[in-house]
Amino acid sequence: MNAPAAQDAPTSFYEAHKKIYPREIGGRFQRLRNLAVWVLLGLYYLLPWIPWDGRQSVLFDLPARKFYVFGLVFWPQDFFYLTWLLIILGLSLFFFTALAGRLWCGYACPQTVWTDVFMSIERRIEGDRNRRLKLDRGPWTGEKILRKGSKHVAWLLLALWTGFTFVGFFTPIQELATKVIGLSMGPWETFWVLFYSLATWGNAGFMREQVCKYMCPYARFQSAMFDRDTLIIAYDTGRGEPRGARARTADYRARGLGECIDCKACVQVCPTGIDIREGLQYECIACAACIDACDAVMDKMSYPRGLVRYTSQKGLEGGGSHVVRPRMIVYGGLLAALVVGFFVSISLRTPVGLDVMRDRNALYRKLPDGTIENVYLLRILNKDTAPHRYVLAAAGLPGIEIDTGIAEHRVGPGEVYSVAARVRVPAATAGGSHEIAIEVASSDAPGLKASRVARFLGP
Amino acid sequence: MRTDEQPVEPEALEEEPQRVAWSQLAQDMAVTLWPSFLAASVATMFFFAFFDPSLFGEGAVPPRWLTHRMAGYAVGFFFFWAICTLSSALTLYLVRTAAPSRKRSLR
Repeated sequence: MNAPAAQDAPTSFYEAHKKIYPREIGGRFQRLRNLAVWVLLGLYYLLPWIPWDGRQSVLFDLPARKFYVFGLVFWPQDFFYLTWLLIILGLSLFFFTALAGRLWCGYACPQTVWTDVFMSIERRIEGDRNRRLKLDRGPWTGEKILRKGSKHVAWLLLALWTGFTFVGFFTPIQELATKVIGLSMGPWETFWVLFYSLATWGNAGFMREQVCKYMCPYARFQSAMFDRDTLIIAYDTGRGEPRGARARTADYRARGLGECIDCKACVQVCPTGIDIREGLQYECIACAACIDACDAVMDKMSYPRGLVRYTSQKGLEGGGSHVVRPRMIVYGGLLAALVVGFFVSISLRTPVGLDVMRDRNALYRKLPDGTIENVYLLRILNKDTAPHRYVLAAAGLPGIEIDTGIAEHRVGPGEVYSVAARVRVPAATAGGSHEIAIEVASSDAPGLKASRVARFLGP
Repeated sequence: MRTDEQPVEPEALEEEPQRVAWSQLAQDMAVTLWPSFLAASVATMFFFAFFDPSLFGEGAVPPRWLTHRMAGYAVGFFFFWAICTLSSALTLYLVRTAAPSRKRSLR
């Protein structure tokens, strides 16, 4: 058809991006957000350095394929728990979104948290909103180069520390630090540190709200979890409109005005550059900066606070909101059951694992004493943090016996112990193929046992 | 007294800067690379929970350096990422190329 229209069509998917210069703001919610930033980043940067039982408290040791979380050790065999945890996290997102909207976006999302820190560095070096705008528009003077340069140096240092810490969750961080100082990092460690540093620098320094707008799936589907009782940030249209500028002492009601003085403070502080007065928009990350901004203006005007506030669809329409409602009961009940089940299951899990592999060389062997012998390679996995002694046993056929050379096997904490086991059965009962059970049990800790089914072959 | 007569402005508004668009290419890259990054992370987690790179290559099929765990994980992740990116890009392409024809028929 007409080529220009076809060419234009794709671009209509996106609006042109305007660089956003959010104005900083103080207030209740800003303090809350700062607190969240300090707590979350504090946990992130410090946790790998905290020792526990003589090792790193939280370490997802990928080279050794072991996950340490405080006193617990997880193995690839415990993958089930990771899946369970992911389900819990997903359901929590549903629960908290239905309850209080996009709490995650405003307070806890790494994108928001690091963007906050990067913006505060920018503010300290380049100045407030107006000075940043002037600086960007001005020519490349010595001062501009100095300010921009030092901002990027500060950003990159923080980004490098972030990347280093990230890798420190996956390989022991103290060894990593020693290697960094001695410039003897392995190629993959170097690569991942740089990869995550660059990702932090790009995401928090440049992409910022673009990530939420274009790349975040949660921003698009969170509306499905909302209902009319969900906490949202909204502008009270009934109270604010018609908006308009006025003097502080003016009788605005006589002039037919609402309480919005149209100062645009809420727009200037918005990190995603939207106007909250246009209603709920998917770009809104519910950071509540507009509430702080508007409250400050309302105070200045001696109007009551809350023209922009946390409320619900029902609240806006003059009704009350219900926290307890069927949706919340279902989500909450499921979540509670999963969380309780998770911890019960972890506390009850047997910290011993057993793998059984048949010896590949021979199917079976006839011994001079008339018994049939099969050989297996056993691997005992001590998932506990203390050493244990284990005894092996076989069951499933009359007269079955197991021989591993020694009666007890000592396996250290976290050790994978391999041993060859000869299982013998009298020839009379050993014909054909049979299922047998091989069991490992600790002789020093009752209840610490595991069992695996194996195949026994005879003539 | 005079100041009270003036409209309250929290701060003199600087003019907004000129538009700096994320180019079409940058946006396309974002919507293909990011979802595939997430999908590849999940795939990597599942895959390497069940397969240990250091046990690969008993039949000497993959090169030896790939059997180092860190190399195995990394190469595995980027492999998944590449496959997922291909899938995302195809989806984007199909959605993109289908949309105009539907619009025309609706008109």
